[in-house]
Amino acid sequence: MTLASTDTPAQVDRKPSLLSRLGLRVNVFQIVLTILVIALLLFTLLPILYMVTTSLKEPIEIRRSGAFFPETVTDINWVRAYRNVPVHIYLGNSTLVALGSALFAVAVGIPISYVIARFHFGGGLLKNWILGTYITPPIVISIPIFLMFRTAGLIDSKLGLAILHGVAALPVAVWLLESFIRKVPRDIDEAAWIDGAGHFGTLVRIIVPVILPGLIATFIICMVLSWNEFLFALVLTYTRNAQTFPIGISNYIGEHGQQFGEMSAAALGGLVPIYLLAFFFQRYLVQGLSSGTVK
Amino acid sequence: MLRKLSQDRSKWLMALPTIALLLLFSLYPLLSMLHMSFTRSTLGQPFRAWVGLQNYKDALVDRIFTTSIGNTLIFGFGVTIAELIIGFLLALFFYRSVQAGRYLRTLALLPFIAPPVAVAMIWRLIYEPNVGLINHYLRQWNITQQSIPFLGQPETSLLSIMVIDIWQWTPFVFILALAALQSLPEEPYEAAAVDGATPFEVFRFITLPMMIPSLLVIGIIRLIGAFKVFDQVYMLTGGGPGISSQVATHYIYRTAFNSFNTGYASSMTIILLVIVIVVITALTLLHAYTVRRYD
Repeated sequence: MTLASTDTPAQVDRKPSLLSRLGLRVNVFQIVLTILVIALLLFTLLPILYMVTTSLKEPIEIRRSGAFFPETVTDINWVRAYRNVPVHIYLGNSTLVALGSALFAVAVGIPISYVIARFHFGGGLLKNWILGTYITPPIVISIPIFLMFRTAGLIDSKLGLAILHGVAALPVAVWLLESFIRKVPRDIDEAAWIDGAGHFGTLVRIIVPVILPGLIATFIICMVLSWNEFLFALVLTYTRNAQTFPIGISNYIGEHGQQFGEMSAAALGGLVPIYLLAFFFQRYLVQGLSSGTVK
Repeated sequence: MLRKLSQDRSKWLMALPTIALLLLFSLYPLLSMLHMSFTRSTLGQPFRAWVGLQNYKDALVDRIFTTSIGNTLIFGFGVTIAELIIGFLLALFFYRSVQAGRYLRTLALLPFIAPPVAVAMIWRLIYEPNVGLINHYLRQWNITQQSIPFLGQPETSLLSIMVIDIWQWTPFVFILALAALQSLPEEPYEAAAVDGATPFEVFRFITLPMMIPSLLVIGIIRLIGAFKVFDQVYMLTGGGPGISSQVATHYIYRTAFNSFNTGYASSMTIILLVIVIVVITALTLLHAYTVRRYD
């Protein structure tokens, strides 16, 4: 407390930012908060790092101790996991489904976002309906979708799952794309319009190039949604022909309940690609997440 | 005139794929569920007989269902409120230091873009009573002698799954709250500095009121997501022990795809959907009210 009270003159002219310029004017409050933040950062990273350290532990050590650091480092879990589970097949399926569904969502999403953003097409109804589908928990439509896909022969098919993931991502895609298109000045459209371009021409030649960063963000976000999706994939796939990574791994967990080293190695196989994607496109990802919601 | 006509047609063409998808993947499944909810149906043989309101009557006195709805609400509101408070506090802490904010934003992507199946796997090990991380250090640091079966006892099973959600999605709230804080106008802060407002007054009378609409949007997004909770329950507890961590989506899934009782599952689905829509609509109206009030 004495530390804080000697600091009083400095506090008067402090800017509204409560805690800026950390380290210049240290007080008890700031120290406590700094410790809190470091604790939260550890809390954030610990589970992911624990997955890495567990995958490097000797299986016998995992059965004995839950310590964070391995006593000895080994690659045996990685060797076994990738011998026992066809991780590459699941990852291949996941990649195809994610790419296909993102392509589908963006291809359908761009034109509808354009007519909604520019012409208020369908009044508020169409937009609200599209966004409203996002509220619906996937379980709500999964029974009729299952029956429908069975009739259409789309059960256990990568194509079927890609379409469904694309449809599921559509509200997110429209939400983002519509906000990006609305930020494009209307004058540009009108210039193209006077030059004789129709709506399709304006959209493809003018709008799409301008919103390209947002489009990339949307595509990546749709891919991540598909990559991580669990319930639809669980209901609609049951062989290696179409099972995605989450389903493959969850079956494996069911069969090898206590092989935490192998499971960690296998799980990291699905984690690393998505982290690489996020690393390369982080700027787009963060922009995409923030726009349309709070900006 | 002719050009106008062809332009109208191209607007419809741009909207058509989405409208078709909405009919096929939103309207049809909902009507189909509604229809099935009044029938005795199985997955193999949809529609066996009309039963009127019987499925609904059964659902309302089904203790597993009412508990799972209660758990869904506890889970949804619990994690959303926790994530909003922690995420917003962290954003407040960092939003003036651009450099730190940028690094943390990247770091914050890691938990929520991770596949839920990988997340479930590692948290299962973290919570494990004998060889898990938490119990290992609780014993090593002599905090408890006895292992705590976090997922295996009714008192903590739901809470433990909530902690995983909070771990995974607080960073998402942080990213959005940071973006919202950084896009607030500067003028009110300058005026407050002239008036000699204390940091607390600045927060209470400037930052917080201006942030409320954004926080509500973020909260609504999280609540929608949290009501969909399925993956972690499916992989970690199966709703148990007993029905202590049973949530609506998972119980419906079990009823439809393990017991094949799609008629009964449909009635529960409709009830769940009505609850979700009522809650989200109420919050959306509240958001519209705050926008009017603070703008």
